[in-house]
Amino acid sequence: MIPIELYIGLSVVIFSIGLYGFMTQRNGVRMLMCVELMLNSANINLVAFSSYHGNLTGQVFVLYVIALAAAEAVVGFAILMSIFRTKDMIDLDKINILRW
Amino acid sequence: MAVGDYALLIPLLPALAFVLTFFLGKKLPNGGAIIPIVAIATSFVISLLITLGLLQNPEQVINQSVTWFAMLNLGILVDPLAAVMLTMVTFVSLLIHIYSTGYMSHDRAQYRYFAVTSLFTASMLSLIISDNILQLFVSWELVGLCSYLLIGFWYQKPAAASAAKKAFLTTRIGDVMFLAGIVVLFSDLFRLYNGSIPEGVFILKFDEIFSQIPQLAAMSTPILGFQVNHLTLITLLFLGGAIGKSGQFPLHVWLPDAMEGPTTVSALIHAATMVTAGIYLVARTFPMFIAAPDSLMVVAYIGAFTAIFAATMGIVMNDMKRVLAYSTISQLGYMMLGLGLGAVIGAEAVGISMFHLINHAFFKALLFLCAGSVIHAVATHDMRQLGGVAKVMPITAATMIIGALALAGIGIPGTSIGFSGFFSKDAIIEAAFLFGENGGGWVLYALSIAAALLTSIYIFRLIFMTFFGKPRTAYGGHEAHASMTLPLSILAILSLVFGALTMERFNTFVSETFVNNFVHMDIPALAELGGYHLASHAGHEPLIILWMPVIVGIAGLLIAYLIYGLRVVNMDRLVSRTNPIYKLLYNRYYQNAILTNFLSIKVVYEGLAFAGRAVDTGFDWIVNWIGDVTIDTGDALRQLQTGVVQNYAMVVITGVSLLVILITVVMEVL
Repeated sequence: MIPIELYIGLSVVIFSIGLYGFMTQRNGVRMLMCVELMLNSANINLVAFSSYHGNLTGQVFVLYVIALAAAEAVVGFAILMSIFRTKDMIDLDKINILRW
Repeated sequence: MAVGDYALLIPLLPALAFVLTFFLGKKLPNGGAIIPIVAIATSFVISLLITLGLLQNPEQVINQSVTWFAMLNLGILVDPLAAVMLTMVTFVSLLIHIYSTGYMSHDRAQYRYFAVTSLFTASMLSLIISDNILQLFVSWELVGLCSYLLIGFWYQKPAAASAAKKAFLTTRIGDVMFLAGIVVLFSDLFRLYNGSIPEGVFILKFDEIFSQIPQLAAMSTPILGFQVNHLTLITLLFLGGAIGKSGQFPLHVWLPDAMEGPTTVSALIHAATMVTAGIYLVARTFPMFIAAPDSLMVVAYIGAFTAIFAATMGIVMNDMKRVLAYSTISQLGYMMLGLGLGAVIGAEAVGISMFHLINHAFFKALLFLCAGSVIHAVATHDMRQLGGVAKVMPITAATMIIGALALAGIGIPGTSIGFSGFFSKDAIIEAAFLFGENGGGWVLYALSIAAALLTSIYIFRLIFMTFFGKPRTAYGGHEAHASMTLPLSILAILSLVFGALTMERFNTFVSETFVNNFVHMDIPALAELGGYHLASHAGHEPLIILWMPVIVGIAGLLIAYLIYGLRVVNMDRLVSRTNPIYKLLYNRYYQNAILTNFLSIKVVYEGLAFAGRAVDTGFDWIVNWIGDVTIDTGDALRQLQTGVVQNYAMVVITGVSLLVILITVVMEVL
């Protein structure tokens, strides 16, 4: 059996990649992809602990998170689409017309 | 059902007419004038019937009261005093309303005019009919409001707007004194009951107040080192209210300016609905005045002084309406004097004073409406531009001359031949003589005779300058419409015969108000309380005294004729800015400069403005400081919002990391 530490290690690596990407990228699509990465790293954690404890609650929870992530992606990409149509670019640090 | 049961309708009908006219008047012809006319006519019929009933049986006083709240009530009281006032007010007001349909026919805001005059009449009627002093005060304020609305009727004119403001503020000074008087009276009565008032006793009701007079007279408080009798204090405060409303010195300044309204409004104010309120207040509380030491003397001297003071100014005015305005002030002075002479003739003072009030109402309404008729036709009220109007407007001229003769008081003493003003003014002057004869000093008599001479001069000056001689400028004109000449004729007939017909009857009728009516006051005992020595009033004056007022009246007529009719004296020398007396009079004793420009503008207004600025600066500083601090803080804080998602994410991550570290440390320590 693969020890739980490896699952956690994988999760940490993926989460870090996601966080790094989220912090450094300016492209909206990439940022959304990074957010997906972070969410899925959390999912790995949940599933790992679920099987470790023999408790199915964690796996059920993961289904919710996947559904949520799908919904989030729909909304997020829709917004990015409309930004692209009006501005011809999706650099999020230039989208600041609602700022003070 | 007796007619007395409808007494409540007398003020109610014009009030209802006000509402109807205000909302429906625009859609009706003539601004809905028919509504107030019908309402006031009905009120007049009811009042007249009640008065006639009271004449036959003075015991039939109408007094209905309901509890208002606590120890205060609302109610109506129609005793002889109120009844004659009600009849006069409804009658004069009715004629003025009829006249107005002609006079105001060119005005687009007619409905507003008729609505407010109707409310004016209603408030005056409710003032008269009140059976307690608080309700009287409420109506009193309503009268003030209506006068404001009507004087400023043509509010587009700055002069009218400021005259309305002046009238309102000046009478307000009096109103505040009146209110203070009521407060003092209330607290004194409350103390007399030791704070526990039995059920069903309304302490501000007139009969209740009168029954407490001896106890009130016994109370006194030191003010500025003097022991002031409470009754004197209360009555003088009431007198302050009366001075403001009735245009007595020194609060008379609003009355001449009140000319800015339509002439019919002047007639209403001067004859029926406003200035008589002050006289009525003093007459209504007469038992208190006569039991209060010194009060009646103050009333008498203020009245006599006002009579002569206003008459001297009336002589030099060139504006027809202003002459009449000063004449009103002067005649109100006579009425005050008449009431003040209650110090020597007792309750009869109420009779002669009210008699003069009623006569004055008729002839002054007549004079004003005639003046209005002239103004309406020739469109100027500067007498220097007129002359010879009698040829163009014979009816107006004839009625106005009758009014003038009534004002000057022409008649034959000892008989019942004479114009109405003759009987009442004579009675007041005779009382002043009686006062002197009983050791009260001759000042009042001298002032009243001199004022009578001046009265005659100024009114005939007006007549000769306006109606006789050659026209001084080209003016077009025509006799007024029948709706205007009819009220003039009715008033002229009353000015001719009312005095002669009713004199004896009227005086006894009204004088009995307090003696043998809804209250039974012992006037001589009250006078004793006030320290006045009543004299028996018998007609034993020397013949010359009886003739004196008539002689000065005719003398005034002759003087005016010689100067303005025949022009025997070159007026240009008298009437010039280099003549100091003329200058003093023409500038109205500089009272405008002193009272308005100096006292009210410099002292009060500038003082208030300065204090206001000081307070404003302080408050402004605090308010601005709070505003500035809020804005600056917000300005600084909003810089945090960069709008870049990564920055927010960074903050979140830093926060979460710090939280994790913190929890770890805490767990370690625990």
